[in-house]
Amino acid sequence: MIDWAAFFIVLVATLVSACLVVTLYSVGLRLIDGTRGWRRPAGIACFVLCGLVVLYGVYLVIPYFHR
Amino acid sequence: MVVLVIVLALFFDFTNGFHDTANAMATPIATGALKPKAAVAIAASLNLVGAFLSTEVARTISGGLIKEGEGGIQITPVMIFAGLIGATLWNMVTWLLGLPSSSSHALFGGLIGAAIVGAGFGSVDFAVLMSKVVLPALLAPLTAGLVAYLATRLAYGISKKRQRNGYKHGQVFTSSLVSLAHGTNDAQKTMGVITLTLIAGGYQAAGSGPEFWVIAVCALAIALGTYTGGWRIIRTMGKGLTEIEPGQGFAAEASTAATILASSHLGFALSTTQVSSGSVIGTGIGRKGASVRWKTAGRIGIGWLITIPAAGLVGALAAVVALTGVVGVVIDTVVAVAVIAGIFLYSRRNRVDARNVHDEPTVLVRPKRSRKQRQAEAREAEAREADSREADSHDESTDNSKAADLA
Repeated sequence: MIDWAAFFIVLVATLVSACLVVTLYSVGLRLIDGTRGWRRPAGIACFVLCGLVVLYGVYLVIPYFHR
Repeated sequence: MVVLVIVLALFFDFTNGFHDTANAMATPIATGALKPKAAVAIAASLNLVGAFLSTEVARTISGGLIKEGEGGIQITPVMIFAGLIGATLWNMVTWLLGLPSSSSHALFGGLIGAAIVGAGFGSVDFAVLMSKVVLPALLAPLTAGLVAYLATRLAYGISKKRQRNGYKHGQVFTSSLVSLAHGTNDAQKTMGVITLTLIAGGYQAAGSGPEFWVIAVCALAIALGTYTGGWRIIRTMGKGLTEIEPGQGFAAEASTAATILASSHLGFALSTTQVSSGSVIGTGIGRKGASVRWKTAGRIGIGWLITIPAAGLVGALAAVVALTGVVGVVIDTVVAVAVIAGIFLYSRRNRVDARNVHDEPTVLVRPKRSRKQRQAEAREAEAREADSREADSHDESTDNSKAADLA
């Protein structure tokens, strides 16, 4: 009838990826606002990581890359 | 006949585009992350690009549609024609009502209706219909809603209030990703239908992929539809369901993008429209102080439930008329054009476009409004905005004082 295993995998993958993006971006926002020296670079690193996750999304969207 | 089907398919593609602008762009427009015109321009170009990027979905869909609607029975161009009339007219009606409904469901519904008339009840595999269309339609908003709820809690737990405008920049990227994913999926459906027609009409070898000109015109039609912008639906999604702040918009779009990508790559297809509506509701539950208008949500839900039967009914009626012969097809065409023109004219009484997309809809559609009423509503909206601005600055000062206390 319905493929519950596939659905469960989709649910978990969605949860992990969405929460990862949101967490990274939020931590980045929080760090980049800080005054101490190490905070800004750390915040930028978070944004870069977040951008990489989004780029992975673009990679998944375009079948040309992973045929 | 084939030419007629292609023209109709392209028009369906166009309605699909303006129906689905809201999925990606309702939240950034609502939070002010993007100007309305800029948002639809980005969505349109990404849909155009997306349509060229992949034709894999079109290849599978031109086969999948037949199996789902018909169970191996030969589909004729006349049936496709009738099905498309059902799908297109239903899309126009839901647009007029500002309801975000799934264009793929309208297409399935129309084709199923036409197939029942053309080949009998036995031609539709209802078990497949349940497991491929109906149950995913229930699961999609639940999944996206749950994820968006958690993502919103995370975002609001981690960030401080004065930092939250920063989410606007992030929104630009996440909503673009949703647009691109949409483009790689939705233009494909029309390509699949046109290719199917060409194969059925004997103009193309069976089993071959879509021709380049088919890809090009489908991409253009969906991009044009997206650029025209279904402002009514954008308003419902961005303002009608819940108040959206930048942080919520970011969380909702991240969830939408994640759900669509995960489902299309792990083999459990979910509808873009239902996923993004679910995300918006989830994010409305996730932020403290935000309320979800369940009445609007309920109306959208009813819209989803009746999409397949309604499009099917129109498709079936169109098939009954069209199967009588050339005269029937002409009658179908004339009636469809008349209804579409009528809906367009009717919609002009209560225009929703880039300028008034931020007004809150108190009810989904109020077609008859005098100028006086509209002016009064505009004044009310302005007053509300001024109020909320005051409230914002007030909140901010308390937040800052709290921060000072902590320090």
